[in-house]
Amino acid sequence: MAEAASTETPSLSEQYLLKKKDENSDVGSKPLEAKEEVKPETAISEEKAEEAPIAASEEKVEDTTAAVAEESTEINPAAENNSDDASAVETESSETVEQQNSDEQEAADEAPQIKLETAPADFRFPTTNQTRHCFTRYIEYHRCIAAKGEGAPECDKFAKYYRSLCPSEWIERWNEQRENGTFPGPL
Amino acid sequence: MIVLEWLFLTIAPCDAAEPWQLGSQDAATPMMQGIMDLHHDIFFFLILILVFVLRILVRALWHFHYQKNPIPQRIVHGTTIEILRTIFPSIIPMFIAIPSFALLYSMDEVVVDPAITIKAIGHQWYRTYEYSDYNSSDEESLTFDSYTIPEDDLELGQSRLLEVDNRVVVPAKTHLRIIVTSADVPHSWAVPSSGVKCDAVPGRLNQISISVQREGVYYGQCSEICGTNHAFTSIVVEAVSRKDYGSRVSNQLIPQTGEA
Repeated sequence: MAEAASTETPSLSEQYLLKKKDENSDVGSKPLEAKEEVKPETAISEEKAEEAPIAASEEKVEDTTAAVAEESTEINPAAENNSDDASAVETESSETVEQQNSDEQEAADEAPQIKLETAPADFRFPTTNQTRHCFTRYIEYHRCIAAKGEGAPECDKFAKYYRSLCPSEWIERWNEQRENGTFPGPL
Repeated sequence: MIVLEWLFLTIAPCDAAEPWQLGSQDAATPMMQGIMDLHHDIFFFLILILVFVLRILVRALWHFHYQKNPIPQRIVHGTTIEILRTIFPSIIPMFIAIPSFALLYSMDEVVVDPAITIKAIGHQWYRTYEYSDYNSSDEESLTFDSYTIPEDDLELGQSRLLEVDNRVVVPAKTHLRIIVTSADVPHSWAVPSSGVKCDAVPGRLNQISISVQREGVYYGQCSEICGTNHAFTSIVVEAVSRKDYGSRVSNQLIPQTGEA
């Protein structure tokens, strides 16, 4: 019942979550890496377009890109000043200097790299003792799997909950017990 | 210098114990603030009672001194005073009990959904911390042990028997759920600044919810006799901003997932 209510209205923690969410919650820095790969090329290509009339041969273009790289290191502090929120790590990681890019970085910074989300407070377990909470979530997941089939997306949240709540040592033990058929719970 | 210490004018980190400390450490959570406020409220009544009782005591000793007044008045009954001294002492505990229970239950209650669950698992004699909110499989993705730095390895500025090698990093101004348990014998996870002391019992998960209000480093110690190295099982919580927490966790996640 409590779960049904929680699915309808966003919980407080969800409301307080920072607005922009990354799709892949596990490793948030992946989009950043992708950006790093893309940005230098775009910057260079723009510079290339400017330098194209002057630089005729391919080798000269190579030289100019090197020059551009040097310039970018010079202009970098200015870009840092412009973007207030850009953290030092981000600016170091991206060597590009375009103003637009720094704006994009700000947006990327505002979004949390990892999603701050965990098992919600459960009204079945309002006390300090959360042992049964963990156990129940573990059983709920495996019953869900049994009912909906392996890898059913609606079971993922239970997996997330029991992983958040149970010590990994317990999970390992229970997994072994399930394999051996000695798990004490109602699966 | 010693005089200064007596006067409590030493400069010491406010989130760790200091020599000759009498008061509590600075509050980092609303819970600890509530505890300190309750303490001060109760102390008001406590001092009133103390003064009153002392006055009666001294007055009695003074006026009924055996040389000055060898034969005291032989009063055995006084209805008014008996009513008063029954009713007033029963009202005073009520003034203490009401805010005390309010605080107790508000500490116990989890009002909002926590954003992060951290598992603090006590071992003889170190602590293991698990951040499992970001797992995608049963393999533990972010787990580390936290040992107290031995006295010989301390660097300048580090507190003896308080500093650990791996601190627990938590985001500030975020609701945290800390699941406290133990793998061997009972331990206790206690951080005075956050107003938390929770026993770690093997086979049982105890939940505490805190919300650290300011960034900083908070020190605590094991508070349940857990064996020989009980004194060398300290706790360090480092509260950082949410953004730093995110980058810290994702930085630690990447190498581990790379290995796996």
